[in-house]
Amino acid sequence: MPYTTFAAIDIGSYELSMKIFELSSKLGMREIDHIRHRIELGMDTYRSGRISHELVEELCEVLQDFKRIMGEYRVSDYRICATSAIRETKNTILVLDQIRTRTGFEAEVLSNSEQRFLGYKSIASKETNFRSIIQKGTAIIDVGGGSIQISLFDKDSLQSTHNLRFGTLRIRERLAALEGSSLRYGDIVEEMINTDIYNFRRLYQKEQKIENIIIVGEFITQMILRINKDTQEHFVTCENFMKFCDEAGEQAPEQIAQELGVPAENSAMILPALVIYRRLVTEIGADYIWAPGVELTDGIAYNYAEQNKIIKFQHNFDNDILNAAKNIGKRYMCNKTHIAVVSELAMSLFDATKKIHGMGKRERLLLQIAVLLHDCGKYISLVKVAECSYSIIMSTEIIGLSHKEREIIANVVRYNTLDFETFDNIVDKDQLDVGSYQIMAKLVAILRVANALDRSHKQKFKNCKAALKEKELIITVNTVEDISLEYELFPEKAGFFEEVFGIQPKIKQKKKI
Amino acid sequence: MEQNDYKKPEYYMNRELSWIKFNDRVLSEARDKSIPLFERLKFLSITASNLDEFYMIRVASLKDMVHAEYTKPDIAGMTPSQQLSKISEELHEMTALQYSTYNRSLLPALKQQGLRIITYHEDLTEEEGKFVDKYFMENVYPVLTPMAVDSSRPFPLIRNKTLNIAALLVKKEEKSREEFEFATVQVPSVLPRIIQIPGKKEETTVILLEEIIERNIQSLFLSYDIICAHPYRIIRNADLTIDEDEAADLLKEIQKQLKRRQWGEVIHLEVEDKMDKRLLKILKREFAMQEEDIYKISGPLDLTFLMKLYGLDGYKSLKAKPHVPAPVPETMTDEDIFTQIRGGDILLHHPFQSFDPVVNFVRQAAKDPDVLAIKQTLYRVSGNSPIIAALAQAAENGKQVSVLVELKARFDEENNIVWAKMLEKAGCHVIYGLVGLKTHSKITLVVRREEDGIRRYVHLGTGNYNDATAKLYTDMGLLTCSEAIGEDATAVFNMLSGYSEPLSWHKLALAPIWLRDRFISLIRRETQHAKEKKPARIIAKMNSLCDQDIIAALYEASAAGVKVDLIVRGICSLKTGIPKVSENITVRSIVGNFLEHSRIFYFYNNGQEEIYMGSADWMPRNLDKRVEILFPVENETLKQEVIHILQVQLEDNVKAHILNKKGSYEKIDKRGKILVDSQMYFCEEAASRAVRPAEDTAQSRVFVPAEPIG
Repeated sequence: MPYTTFAAIDIGSYELSMKIFELSSKLGMREIDHIRHRIELGMDTYRSGRISHELVEELCEVLQDFKRIMGEYRVSDYRICATSAIRETKNTILVLDQIRTRTGFEAEVLSNSEQRFLGYKSIASKETNFRSIIQKGTAIIDVGGGSIQISLFDKDSLQSTHNLRFGTLRIRERLAALEGSSLRYGDIVEEMINTDIYNFRRLYQKEQKIENIIIVGEFITQMILRINKDTQEHFVTCENFMKFCDEAGEQAPEQIAQELGVPAENSAMILPALVIYRRLVTEIGADYIWAPGVELTDGIAYNYAEQNKIIKFQHNFDNDILNAAKNIGKRYMCNKTHIAVVSELAMSLFDATKKIHGMGKRERLLLQIAVLLHDCGKYISLVKVAECSYSIIMSTEIIGLSHKEREIIANVVRYNTLDFETFDNIVDKDQLDVGSYQIMAKLVAILRVANALDRSHKQKFKNCKAALKEKELIITVNTVEDISLEYELFPEKAGFFEEVFGIQPKIKQKKKI
Repeated sequence: MEQNDYKKPEYYMNRELSWIKFNDRVLSEARDKSIPLFERLKFLSITASNLDEFYMIRVASLKDMVHAEYTKPDIAGMTPSQQLSKISEELHEMTALQYSTYNRSLLPALKQQGLRIITYHEDLTEEEGKFVDKYFMENVYPVLTPMAVDSSRPFPLIRNKTLNIAALLVKKEEKSREEFEFATVQVPSVLPRIIQIPGKKEETTVILLEEIIERNIQSLFLSYDIICAHPYRIIRNADLTIDEDEAADLLKEIQKQLKRRQWGEVIHLEVEDKMDKRLLKILKREFAMQEEDIYKISGPLDLTFLMKLYGLDGYKSLKAKPHVPAPVPETMTDEDIFTQIRGGDILLHHPFQSFDPVVNFVRQAAKDPDVLAIKQTLYRVSGNSPIIAALAQAAENGKQVSVLVELKARFDEENNIVWAKMLEKAGCHVIYGLVGLKTHSKITLVVRREEDGIRRYVHLGTGNYNDATAKLYTDMGLLTCSEAIGEDATAVFNMLSGYSEPLSWHKLALAPIWLRDRFISLIRRETQHAKEKKPARIIAKMNSLCDQDIIAALYEASAAGVKVDLIVRGICSLKTGIPKVSENITVRSIVGNFLEHSRIFYFYNNGQEEIYMGSADWMPRNLDKRVEILFPVENETLKQEVIHILQVQLEDNVKAHILNKKGSYEKIDKRGKILVDSQMYFCEEAASRAVRPAEDTAQSRVFVPAEPIG
């Protein structure tokens, strides 16, 4: 039986962990080792904005040892991901460089949306339960050391996802001075997070009925197993959970730690976690809670197995990303029919020119999202659509996309109507590099052509075919409608396509009788 | 009764006094005339070496407490100084009994068998004397370092546990016989203690080295007259307590401590009973001795020489037949050990069964091309350990080898450091124990890459990975490739390497964090069943029992009606027969040729019997200060086998001593009973079972006609 041995490493805000998996089509994901080292990188980051060199030293030492352990299992591939502690520190680049020179490892810093998407995949790795649960209204709450992600599901797909910037470690660090001194510590934590939770509910959850809550986070599994002492199930009713929270709220953290069987050194984070869980469960109001007991590393492995086609999974994650983007479009009242046509056009252009642009599945997805959001700026201003669209995309998280990918999309949308700039002249560059600039240019070229074909927003180009013929891209449209507007304005938009690909797009009308 | 009511001091036996009773039981073996004569010598020798260790560790520790003015009473309500004076009283008695056994029973019996031990050099014949003097001049004299004490030469350092001769001297020209000087000379430990004197064929005559020196002591101090000369021996405080928080480098600290150990306070002085009073006074002053710590001995000091006497050639009929461990049936096939383990868990019962499967497990892992990693904890290892050699070999073969070497294993530190360094050189990843905890668990993990992914093979045991002691100690072991135990084993080594504990354990229970609670809850479950009028039973076998919480839980169980049978070889602080407290508890101690060492725990669990084995005794140090592992035996056949082993031990009426209400141990009245010597029983059983598993051998004589083709 062929199988791949894979290591997933998570450099988290209070823990460095590695899981070793055997991935095979026959047995799926088999976790064979799980190694954890407690290191509060987040403490430094959230307090001073910098990770001290002692901690970096320790981090590198443990990573070095992880390398030894990987050798022990003859790991054939691995992925190392860092989350908010490294992402938010001011010396990110230096820390990554230290890791590289000391251990030879390339650690990736995940953007929040990438991280959450992997977190979401980790839950999906428990396939049977996951698939049945998300048929109904479901909220996934992923509580980390730095922030919380809430994702809402309905009818098998992701609806929307939101980040609240408070996590267990961040709260503890912010309230460090109060710890132990006040009996009302729990109340203060509650006060601190209440506004955010309330706003989330008012703005995003609205009337959506949530039946299940899936919680991923520290202590939750232990809490639920404690409630289900006899059955050892990972499900609990919200009612029972609230009862437990109320009882636990009366106890000292050390006492709760002992009851849950977690090491006493972790007890300082129990109270913030408890308050967060209680508040969110109350506010969202569901019937059941499920703690799948998974971690980011499960998601990393799941993602790897999926991308390398080692295991076939049933759930379509690209759809989740598209769905999330669609819902963003909906919020800014984008023109649904126009988007549907442009999307179809863009996709057929993309597929027809595969040979010349050489881009893959992922870029196709980016283009699709760009189409979905290409005129969302209209919601703000009809004059500065491009700039507003750009700003909206840059400040809206799209789950599953890295920061760089989101920047590509925002720029594709921006230069869909604005004059295309040289790389050096693009303003507000963040992570955009030459490579992504090239992708951006190609996507802009395609989007402009597709958009130009529905200039009138009248969906005249519904059934059209695109085909490469030597130096020309022939777009055959089968319509009896008058397409003079599109025909007239087309060369202006098509010019850029020619500039990028060296190929001239041409419209050919077939009037079927 | 409330939980605390079971913790009254009067319900407990002081652990030191209980230990003394254990040594008494060993001594009773030396006095047992039904045992071969030379075996009795061995038992007497063991009581002596046991006592040495007891002084060095336990007495020393109590002395430390007294010095530190620590007065908190133990679980039996005795303060350290009360314990010390009671110990001194009992040990003086024990010493007297040791020497009456030696002088009145063993010496005459040996003489009858033609072995003459010359206790005093004055008893030598003229001819023998000549031989001895020649031997002295040729072999002994050159290595002696006599040391005199006067105003310019301070009292020399006398090394721990060495045998010395003290003498009073007077300068030859000195008129006054009152102006004497003190001198001392160490009996060299590099020379054999027993010297055979050639003589008649049918008789063997031996003399002890110190007597030869005493006879010739004049030649060491030529310008002096010898007033008197007598042997003496001291024991120093040797309890090695390392403050681990402060020791930056544990290794260095232990090496430093080893040198310092010889400088410890003198806590025990033994002298020949005829010693001159003036001489004794000097020793007493120089070593700052209390009267109660001085032992006057009527016979040779340091009876451990008897072990050497046991080694004399011949006398076969006076020794027990040497035991040859039987092979383990499951491992007698031609397959490799991994295939054998995949065939089903394998239970090992040493020394009745051979330790070879364990050595082979590591050896084959070292060579097997599919093995990725070997991980092992090592506590005490034999001098020339085949396991260490195999581990080094494995590292050289490119396997990942991680070894946890426990440097804090008492008296073995020096030895451990040597081979730990050797392993490191060979490329092993060596972990030097955990700060503040001794790693006492015995576990080996082999990770093997197989067709369907990795598979883990685990050996768990109750005894050390020591092929030498595995021939003498009774221990149990389990070879398994159970996935759940394998995952736990990996988690154990992750923890030992300093990583966080696993989120949960499947099968194993570990000290110091989880084990105590586990035991208590297992005991309480029986208590609960008894309260519900269901049958409830506990059988537990271990080396020592002195943990208050556990004993209180056992009392509570007994009071609720749980039948508790304990097989405790050594210390037992639990008292039997206390009305309404421990009436349902029996305690027996088996002292035989092999040292009982396995720890087995049986719980009836309302019919769903559970069996556990492990490395931990029910002692506070095992449950709180050590890394220990308790593992279940789940295979039904093996479970029945372990229950059978416990049953046989409970039926033992030859080597078992029963703890009675009065707190003393008595042998069972054997009249009218079939004799059961459990250790002998297991020897015979293991030998009779050691046949290759049936492979259609019954059919092998029958010719099989070929089937017609087509």
